Amino acid sequence: MTVPSALIWDPAVARYQFRPDHPFNPRRLELSVSLMESLGLINDTTARVVAPRMATEAELLAVHSREYVDAVRRFSAGGGTDDAPRYGLGTDDTPVFPGMHEVTSLVAGATLRAAELVMSGEVKRAFSICGGLHHAHRGRGSGFCVYSDLAAAIAWVRREHGGRVLYLDYDAHHGDGVQGIFYDDPEVMTLSLHESGRYLFPGTGFVDELGEGEGYGYSLNVPLEPFTEDDSWLAIHAKLLPEVMEAFRPDVILVQNGCDGHALDPLTHLRASTRLYEETIRLVCELADTHCNGRVIATGGGGYAVWEVVPRAWTLIWGGLSGQPVPDRIPHDWLNRWQGEAPVLLPERVRDDPAAHKPVPRREEIEATNRRTLESLRRQALPLIRGWDLGW
Amino acid sequence: MTRAPVAVSPVQSLADALRLTREHRIRHLPVVHQGELVGIVSDRDIRLAMPSPLTEPDPGRADFLQSTPIAGIMSRNVITVGPSDAVEDAAKLMQRHHIGSLPVVDAHGALLGILTETDVLHAFVELLGPAGASSRLEIVLPDRAGQLARAMRIIGEERGVNVCSLMVPPGGPADRRVAIVHVGTIDPREVIAALEGAGFQVGWPSLERDLRAGGLA
Repeated sequence: MTVPSALIWDPAVARYQFRPDHPFNPRRLELSVSLMESLGLINDTTARVVAPRMATEAELLAVHSREYVDAVRRFSAGGGTDDAPRYGLGTDDTPVFPGMHEVTSLVAGATLRAAELVMSGEVKRAFSICGGLHHAHRGRGSGFCVYSDLAAAIAWVRREHGGRVLYLDYDAHHGDGVQGIFYDDPEVMTLSLHESGRYLFPGTGFVDELGEGEGYGYSLNVPLEPFTEDDSWLAIHAKLLPEVMEAFRPDVILVQNGCDGHALDPLTHLRASTRLYEETIRLVCELADTHCNGRVIATGGGGYAVWEVVPRAWTLIWGGLSGQPVPDRIPHDWLNRWQGEAPVLLPERVRDDPAAHKPVPRREEIEATNRRTLESLRRQALPLIRGWDLGW
Repeated sequence: MTRAPVAVSPVQSLADALRLTREHRIRHLPVVHQGELVGIVSDRDIRLAMPSPLTEPDPGRADFLQSTPIAGIMSRNVITVGPSDAVEDAAKLMQRHHIGSLPVVDAHGALLGILTETDVLHAFVELLGPAGASSRLEIVLPDRAGQLARAMRIIGEERGVNVCSLMVPPGGPADRRVAIVHVGTIDPREVIAALEGAGFQVGWPSLERDLRAGGLA
């Protein structure tokens, strides 16, 4: 059943690019949207494209320091960059580039636009495909992220509508920026599932990072073992998310759909297939329908297998959000349009073939460790959520 | 260490000592007489000195605790450390003598503080704590002069990536060491390629688990 949905998109957001050869490659956005179009998943009514707007300075300052925003403006305008490292910028990961303030404001505005459409009731779900910059902190950039579109959207929802926001982060890297900005806020719960910070950037996101002050118990982290596969990941998700929804009772869900946990992604060691993305978004939407009037604001995120994985994963996310079945066969027109440029052979099906997945040798050990992690989190965190034991 | 720790005098009773360990949830009480450390008493010492509640359902238990002075059960030859001793030396003392705490005294034997197993554990956790936003690599180094420097120069100068933390634990095979390095990037692929190009074996996420090292092949 189709659900009124909006895809926030304008080719202008592709100017969020640090260098031509930078791994955070905006090409993946264009590839994803064109695959959705080619599969007939975009129309003028229930699954339509809406253009982003610019975030205002006030909206940025709700989650970033004045000093940081001023510094980004200065770098953006070509000013001196000697102090850029103080702001986490000017590095190989997150270089300074002309116009970075404006285009990052547009990315933040895209996610704000998604939040506006969902909160006004105009649509039930909105997908800010260029958003998901979850490593940006209050006073510094990090890991390909300049401004936090996610935090700005959460702050906007809180200010304009009140209510509780559940932030879900499925990127393979810990959502440290968003967690940090709302670490002491009990009205914003963050839940991040990611490859353990023991090995992967940014090195945080352990079970004992539970929040602080009033927000203690409102930051949840599931650090997964390297080489975790779909079954273990999905079992944890299916156990935890309904409990969290039940206990926290959010008014809206904001979900970051980084797809860099896929087995083909070059930056992480997780071993997910496309099934993970299809099933997680399905459960998120199902629980949103039950608990928060179906309201889901979604963003993109990490995803560095630009040609082979991202377009398929985000097409499945869009299908799940908008309630449209996604055909499995990738149309020839799409393959013909892109294969010439692609450095790899493009897959012909949207979904990975389970038979092609090579099982991980240490699977039992990995699954056992992940189960212990989940139990440790449930034991520590769930009783801290107010009302959890009341069963409401 | 904990500064100005809870302490007792040798003439106080076991009842006092027991009450203090419970009130402050501590396991060790330094015993101080005329400003000088003269002994230490642990909650275990106190319990061992007490009549067993199993063999003697004991009306005299409270009296016993009241009337026995701490001086009667305390350990007198206390192993201590000074305020500027290294934490690793203190930890070694605790391990060698199977003790759970070390009073910290100045040159005149006056009590300054107490270092417990918990403090050492905290120091250890801190040492291994987050290194800042970074990716963790393991680099196999031939155990020869200059190899570590060469690897660090490749990361820092050649690739321009910050080394956030570095550990080279002793032990392992005689001819090589494994450096555990946190590099300040979300994308360590080029760093890894440069190190491998220079002949280093690199593990990411770790040597044992790494696909390229055959751990999962």
